[in-house]
Amino acid sequence: MADQSAHPAKDPLARIAAPAITSADATPVRQRRAGAAARILSGPLPWLLPALGVLGLFYLYPIFEAVRLAFTDARLFDTETQLSMRSISSMVGSSTLGVILRNTLTYTVASVVGQIALGLAIALLVMRAERARLRGTLALRTIVLAAWVIPAIANGIIWQLLFSEAPFGAINSALRLMGVAPVAWLSDPSNAMTSAVIATIWQGTAYSMILLYAALKTIDPALYEAAAIDNARPWERFWFITLPHLRAALVVNAILILIMTLNMFDTILALTGGGPGRATEILSLYAYGTVFQNFELGRGAALSMLLLVISLGLTVVLIALLPRDRR
Amino acid sequence: MGQVELKSIHKSFGPTAVLDDINLKIADKEFVVVVGPSGCGKSTLLRVVAGLEEASSGALLFDGRAVNALSPGERNVAMVFQNYALYPHLSVATNIGFGLRRAAMSRREKREAVERTARLLEIEPLLKRRPGALSGGQRQRVAMGRAIIRNPAVFLFDEPLSNLDARLRMQMRSEIRGLHSKLPTTTLYVTHDQVEAMTMADRVVVMNAGRIEQIGTPSQIYDTPRTTFVARFMGMPSMNMISARYDGDALVLPDARVPVPADWPERLGPWVGRALLLGLRPEHLSLRASPGGVPATVDLTEPTGSETLVYLHHGDTRLAARTPPDTRLRRGDQVHLDLRLDRATLFDPDTALALPTLPADPSKTGETV
Repeated sequence: MADQSAHPAKDPLARIAAPAITSADATPVRQRRAGAAARILSGPLPWLLPALGVLGLFYLYPIFEAVRLAFTDARLFDTETQLSMRSISSMVGSSTLGVILRNTLTYTVASVVGQIALGLAIALLVMRAERARLRGTLALRTIVLAAWVIPAIANGIIWQLLFSEAPFGAINSALRLMGVAPVAWLSDPSNAMTSAVIATIWQGTAYSMILLYAALKTIDPALYEAAAIDNARPWERFWFITLPHLRAALVVNAILILIMTLNMFDTILALTGGGPGRATEILSLYAYGTVFQNFELGRGAALSMLLLVISLGLTVVLIALLPRDRR
Repeated sequence: MGQVELKSIHKSFGPTAVLDDINLKIADKEFVVVVGPSGCGKSTLLRVVAGLEEASSGALLFDGRAVNALSPGERNVAMVFQNYALYPHLSVATNIGFGLRRAAMSRREKREAVERTARLLEIEPLLKRRPGALSGGQRQRVAMGRAIIRNPAVFLFDEPLSNLDARLRMQMRSEIRGLHSKLPTTTLYVTHDQVEAMTMADRVVVMNAGRIEQIGTPSQIYDTPRTTFVARFMGMPSMNMISARYDGDALVLPDARVPVPADWPERLGPWVGRALLLGLRPEHLSLRASPGGVPATVDLTEPTGSETLVYLHHGDTRLAARTPPDTRLRRGDQVHLDLRLDRATLFDPDTALALPTLPADPSKTGETV
């Protein structure tokens, strides 16, 4: 053996270990490695890591956990769980799910459309007032924003007081003063959804107003002046100038409001608790009830997954509507 | 017809008066340029005529008919904006044809009108593009096309060339002028650029601090400024202003006595012994070969190729002289100047107004307000 190692040329292993060759090869490797590390360190990654860490811990990990739970028969207080498709199949087979999805659809569409339309209307009004150099536009914006600052659960309670059918219910009292018969805002199943939508729109409008107001601010006022000289009617100005400019802002607004509304939970919980019956029970509330009232953790996770899939699907559809240069 | 008349127009934003007693009559097919420093109210004046701003008081007449109450769209004016204000989401063709939406024309007639306009402005190949895909000069043409196609009674231009580079500005200047001779239409053109005012206008309106300083043809404005403001504002370098006194037979300058033309003693009678401002364009100062005239010290020379501008001082007075291109002078050189007093304008330093008695030649008298 000693002989063999003395003849490096005959022993391939020894040749690899030969000092001259090693140093000649390793230096560039080390340099290359150091170069790659420097490249990573000088790139955006180190700066993104803290955010990635927080997002991963508080967003990605729970999603991952929810996906895992959806494929188990977990119950809230049972430690024994096993993999199973039962949660998903019972969710899909449930007759309640149809009602819940229909409620969710009605609630979401009405709320999103209402928040965008009302937000746009107020934003246009503020712009118009500013152009006419009216006073009080800042106060108006602040008041509208105040609604948004209120926590959703408080919003639900406030509207419950307003809609209340007891003698102190503000809206019914006002109606009574005007000689109109009081309305069963929350106890009548056919009115409850409308009431829930009103409470949601009232709170969410501020957000969409601010977003659209900011977008309106970026429109060159000279365009409206050019249109005025071209004798364009108000609707033409809106159609040819305002709306095309707002397209990106409207789509982004719609995506954000859609997600917020689909996940809306606290306002309805405080306002109606999903009732009467299941009249205002939407998917998020249903998932909450499934987990925390029926303790069916697996099924609740499956419902959450369904909510996630619906949100993602609708977001993709909306992104397709974005102007090409903003995608 | 497109006769425009402004009768004592006032405009104020809150307590700030922006336009103060503006009187101006623009004849049909006339090209009038309003020029002045920024903030002088010239753009506001244009916007009042367009109807984008309402005059606080005064009457605005188109062909003798008051239009104060009409909306911009009803006034039959077309406007080219400083930043062009093209509709960014519409094609060039739609932008140009926008003003024809409600015209009593068939779709085909409208298309032909757009094509005719595009041909006139040489932008036919761009018709399908969006404004975002055009260069500054092309956008400028589209903006003009949008104005021309409606065949308005009055064209309004709000500093239309200020976003273009120098070469393109020069080219567009002559194109706008050429367009005006092809389609003679009353034009009110606002600019801060005195070269545009001098080269394009039939008549120039010089504004300062919300008031009209002088109205006149470019040569009237240049040769016989009515106020020291006009004298200083128009012309590059601006008019030399020399403190002087008339002692009965010569002008007494800080460091020289200059004999006056033969007809001055008669006219300057009341001004004997009083302080005056002698206004002289740089081209009316010339270098003397021999001593005499007005002594001055050279501060700086600027050879431009076709001429050499010499900046000097005489006592405390800074002067500029336009001299032949082969002038060779250095800082500190002592020179002697000849003043062409026959081309001078004299101002009263107290009122900043040109002396009413000068000049004598009625053809050179500026039309004043």
